[in-house]
Amino acid sequence: MQIVTPLLTLVRVSVYIFLIAPIAVVVLASFNAGNFLTFPPQGLSLRWFWTFLQNDVFIDAILYSAVLAACATAVSLVVGTMAALYFVRHARREAELVRIGVLLPLILPEILTAIALLFFFYEIGIGTEHKIALFTGHVLMTLPFVFLNAVTSLQSRDDAAELAARTLGASRYTAFRRITLPLIAPGVATGSVFAFIISFDTFGISFILKGSGSAPLPIQLYDYLRFNFTPEAAAVSTVSIIMTVLLLGLADLVFGKK
Amino acid sequence: MRKLRSAVLILPAAAIIFLFVVLPYVIVLVMSFRTPGAGGAPYGEGFGLKGYTQFFSEGYYAMSLPQTMLLGMVTTLACLALAYPVALHIATASRRWRAILYGIVLSPLLVGIVVRSYGWTILLGNSGVINATLIQMGLIQRPLPLMYNNFGVVLALAHVFLPFMVLPLLSALQAMDPAVAQAARSLGARRFTIFRRVTFPVSMPGVQAGCILVFVLAISSYVTPALVGGMRVKTTTLLVVDALIDQFQWPFGSAMALTLAAAAGLVVFVFARLTRMEWK
Repeated sequence: MQIVTPLLTLVRVSVYIFLIAPIAVVVLASFNAGNFLTFPPQGLSLRWFWTFLQNDVFIDAILYSAVLAACATAVSLVVGTMAALYFVRHARREAELVRIGVLLPLILPEILTAIALLFFFYEIGIGTEHKIALFTGHVLMTLPFVFLNAVTSLQSRDDAAELAARTLGASRYTAFRRITLPLIAPGVATGSVFAFIISFDTFGISFILKGSGSAPLPIQLYDYLRFNFTPEAAAVSTVSIIMTVLLLGLADLVFGKK
Repeated sequence: MRKLRSAVLILPAAAIIFLFVVLPYVIVLVMSFRTPGAGGAPYGEGFGLKGYTQFFSEGYYAMSLPQTMLLGMVTTLACLALAYPVALHIATASRRWRAILYGIVLSPLLVGIVVRSYGWTILLGNSGVINATLIQMGLIQRPLPLMYNNFGVVLALAHVFLPFMVLPLLSALQAMDPAVAQAARSLGARRFTIFRRVTFPVSMPGVQAGCILVFVLAISSYVTPALVGGMRVKTTTLLVVDALIDQFQWPFGSAMALTLAAAAGLVVFVFARLTRMEWK
């Protein structure tokens, strides 16, 4: 009986280490001074970050991913918030259908959704041209996250304020713009930050629908990793981790609870 | 009129989901019954069961299905075993610790799946962190085969999807009234008895949700088996992508994907039956 508690603690600590280890090891490997990913590292240096900064392929990929994620999130932000408003305020019997429908891209296997979209865009004659299929896929991946966060913030506020504004003569649109929108803005913004990160990191959709030409970061990284073992990939990964952390920190600073 | 005006709110989302999810999945279903294409075309004119018969008649493809199911089940069990102590810990931790531990559990979700799989290749490789350390300590002479096999893939998958097991477990455990466990305690139950008779049954909905989620995610994942398995672990999902993207065999690839989905559905159904799951 006495040994159970320390044993449990050991198990817990191992799981926490297990969770952090693969990420920590990538960050550590990026400071390796050697030519290959050897362990222990042959000294510390920033040379692989320098190599990465001079590699147009990865820089382009990061910019490309960022633009793609921003555009997809912008569309999801509008569509997802509207759907959330409908779900919370107006949906009656069809509420469950609406919820499952909007969450479908999250529930269905991403790679299968990507394949289905590929077929669809070939059927209508577009294929992977003009990045339309890729963009649509990213909107699908980000939509559930905006929706879920918007629903949560709508449900945690009662609509008495908006009703009061309406009673005082504000139009529906004015009441929404001046009362409801400022109230749900922090929740929706947090959802958008998550959506951005999901789009930035998603693999299956981008892998299947990327088409020719430049590709998002996870795809470039995957292609690189299949044939190369230099710490440059670790440097790229570290930069993308730092970007995510900075983005989250910024979001917390701006929208976090005061 | 009011009804009509509110319907405008849901219209864009409904259109997106119908056009870009429902319709495409119908196309996959139809595609799986088409005949194979000739001369570079992805599919032919007619319809038939060729896609399905090809899958089940070629051992290389057919055998991948049970192997993938087994891989998914082992991953799910590993995830459950790792996630349960953590979920229990977070559920009973103080408020401050809870936020920190919650952050640790969720942090892998914010790092791309490619980067996480890459992390595992650094840890498990023949000259990776674990093997190098063990060799330097003189515990082994040659590197242990940790990667490019099922072991490595299961370990990496369990890591990648662990948050999806912890979260449902946590929500089930947090819904539990601590007074119940205290009551059992004061009535003289031992800790293990409380766990077996009170805590675990209460958390069952979380166990079921987490297991189904992780199983489905694990069998349909691509990057992790590809990078950590190094193309030596052939899951059905890898073969599906290979058939569709590299070999351009759309009917065959679709039939394979739908067979995988049907098999996964069957496993989930049996699991739900065995654990007497209450569908909500």
